[in-house]
Amino acid sequence: MSAGFEVATAIAVSQPRRAVIDRAWRAIGPGVEVLSGDDGGPLRRTVKRIIDPLVLRLRANAQYSAPFVHADVAVAMHDLIVGHDAQLRSAAAWFELLKRERRRLRITTGNAQELYFPACFELAVTKGAPAQRDDGAAEAVLLEIHGDRDRTAIEVLNQYVADPAVVAGLTDQLRQSWSDVRAGPEITGPFLAGLTTVLGPAESHSAAAARQRVWSALIADAAPYNLGAKAHSAEAELPWSITELGLSSVEPQRPPAVVGGADSERPLNRSVVDRVRATLRRAMDRDELPDIPLLCAEEVDRVCAPWGLMAEDKQATLIAGIEIGACLAPLSESAVPRYDLASQIQARLRKEAYVLHARRYLADGGPMHPRQQQVIDDLAAFARPYLSRLWARLHGRDVWQEPCDDVDDVRALLEGVARSVSLDHRQRIKAMLELQVAG
Amino acid sequence: MRLVADSGLWSTGHQAAPTPLAAVLEVSGAVLSWTIDDSSTAAQITFTDPASADWLWRVFGESGHVALTAALDGRPPGAAVELIGVDVRPGSLEPLRRLALGHWLRRWWPASQRDGIAALDSALLDAEIAVLTAAAEDFFTDETFDSDVAALLRPHAAALSAHLQGGDPRVIELVRNCADLANDVGIAFGEADGVAQRRDDYALAAGPDAGRHGSSAIATGADSVIWGAVPPGVFDAAEKTVAWRIEAVDGVAKAVIRVELSGAGLAAGIAVRLRSDGLGGTGVLDVDGVAAFPIVDQEQRPVAESAAWDHDWRSTAVTIGADRNELVESPQMRERVRDFARTRLHRQAPDTFLAEVLAAESDY
Repeated sequence: MSAGFEVATAIAVSQPRRAVIDRAWRAIGPGVEVLSGDDGGPLRRTVKRIIDPLVLRLRANAQYSAPFVHADVAVAMHDLIVGHDAQLRSAAAWFELLKRERRRLRITTGNAQELYFPACFELAVTKGAPAQRDDGAAEAVLLEIHGDRDRTAIEVLNQYVADPAVVAGLTDQLRQSWSDVRAGPEITGPFLAGLTTVLGPAESHSAAAARQRVWSALIADAAPYNLGAKAHSAEAELPWSITELGLSSVEPQRPPAVVGGADSERPLNRSVVDRVRATLRRAMDRDELPDIPLLCAEEVDRVCAPWGLMAEDKQATLIAGIEIGACLAPLSESAVPRYDLASQIQARLRKEAYVLHARRYLADGGPMHPRQQQVIDDLAAFARPYLSRLWARLHGRDVWQEPCDDVDDVRALLEGVARSVSLDHRQRIKAMLELQVAG
Repeated sequence: MRLVADSGLWSTGHQAAPTPLAAVLEVSGAVLSWTIDDSSTAAQITFTDPASADWLWRVFGESGHVALTAALDGRPPGAAVELIGVDVRPGSLEPLRRLALGHWLRRWWPASQRDGIAALDSALLDAEIAVLTAAAEDFFTDETFDSDVAALLRPHAAALSAHLQGGDPRVIELVRNCADLANDVGIAFGEADGVAQRRDDYALAAGPDAGRHGSSAIATGADSVIWGAVPPGVFDAAEKTVAWRIEAVDGVAKAVIRVELSGAGLAAGIAVRLRSDGLGGTGVLDVDGVAAFPIVDQEQRPVAESAAWDHDWRSTAVTIGADRNELVESPQMRERVRDFARTRLHRQAPDTFLAEVLAAESDY
């Protein structure tokens, strides 16, 4: 078939956003070379760390974040970028200075662009171009960046839970909250049936709208809560085994410890303090340092909530993930997933496995080297790392109250987690085989 | 341009040769592949996630990018789609092809003492790939398998620093380029950690005759290593480098396998399988590439010396590494790879890597 007609109309109205940014960047002219690639366009991290968040401010200006933009939006973006030329040139000057200081201070940790770009733009906005004579500003910035801001929050946490009275209080709270969670009488069949639509194809706008409607209904359904509550009780009537899924080491799920605890590998076994620590680590980019006692008390209620997640939309997303994860088998050519979305993910995973074959990292018929056995076994049990990572993402969203109510966003999350687990596995395979060469 | 469905994904169709003849590169949202020794054929572009391929306009032009995305948006792979007026801009994929080739060289270069194909300096090869990766960063918007510059450089920090002491200006220029890059991604040159020990002496390599004692062999023969079943940098890439020998020890049959080694990788622990019409055995190679194990029958019972003498050993096959059940890599394909390598050593091209230039020079 021919797509000629839709092509013609699409060309008239939109431009790839990245091309728009590229053009605007080139219009700035000289003075931003350190933020540019060899071809004169902006570096990937210039876009990611400066242009998108600080110049276009995508959070406030959603219209600039679409992959394709209309001509009027393109003009606005162009003007905004070119209008920041002075700051961008100053930011470039700051980056050069910071790199020099980095060398002088013999700092080698972290990616310089990733870490310094936002700081450089901030310096450019607040201080303009760097002073002709070194006033110590660059060194102060570097020491602040490399001073492990997150560690301070974790220190506060450690001190807080070193107090036995605090732990005793949280333990009481945990006992109470755990006994409060009970499954309701609602049946789960309709929820699982609805997932077929949510995880199914939508080739038309009306189908996409229907998919959204179904998801909106599902996140209000009691089934995810009830299933999670049932996982707590001895007479679990779950369609899956939470130990096989790798979510818990025991069935039924036991209340986790406040602090310590033997098993921190499986999400639902993780102690309260471990979970808060993970939150603090992920909070690196956030300006506000959370109130530790409040965070701990909230987390106690969260570990007791079904699936260790407070919000219904997160619980529902985890169930969708369980259904998807069970279908994924990157090393299997014959797997036929029951959901359309799972088939798409599986097709990508297979292609990614092909890259490993083509690069001589993986062979059909077993490990090339005994070192690979573990990771091949892990790939065969893909659902476990998949759910572990999905749970961690959902936990983060739950803590920061970021919604999972948009079906496309949820589907993108389910795909993105598969991609990152696959990348992680493949990098392990690569590292294992290359390790032995160096060893 | 025509898009076709390929194993559940959209692809541009031009099927690349199978491994080990394909050079592949994973970029954001797509996997690109080329046939190494056929520069006339276009790249195969397989879309793993068209939405995240925000570099498409660089290759297809802005209108091509828009058209391609519009055509694939929400359309499950199925009947072919013809995109009129959308084509790859000449030369736009060349840096990526070279990068794919670099990755191929790292993994498949058929270094062989016996065939006279010199090994490539892995530190310099990885350094050049790292520089090319950084230059092509627009294609790696997301984290991908091939965008990890730090991982390429980290093992070679010491080796590359050592190269700065040498006198070759081409090497020094490359390492200098790389030092700046390494510094940016958090790797300090000059630390003496993990210098790969090159096995320059090929003394360990044995001939196809596994007979260390020279006598009492019930049968002997030679087989070839299937490259795709073993890690690179361990075995000599010539044919018939797996020497096998059946001998009798204390009245029962035993296999002794010896594989020619070449490169810095360790053979220890790699699996060996021998099959011969109902008889067989398995073992693992030691650090010298030798394995010895008892021959057993289908019931896993030892085979008596007399039975071993009666057995027809002509069908014996030995596999090294993964037990590949289908022969997807033929000796002809490996020969094509060797021809390709020889051609590259003898004729420099714009896409030649410095490591290849040096290997060619060291050859004489």
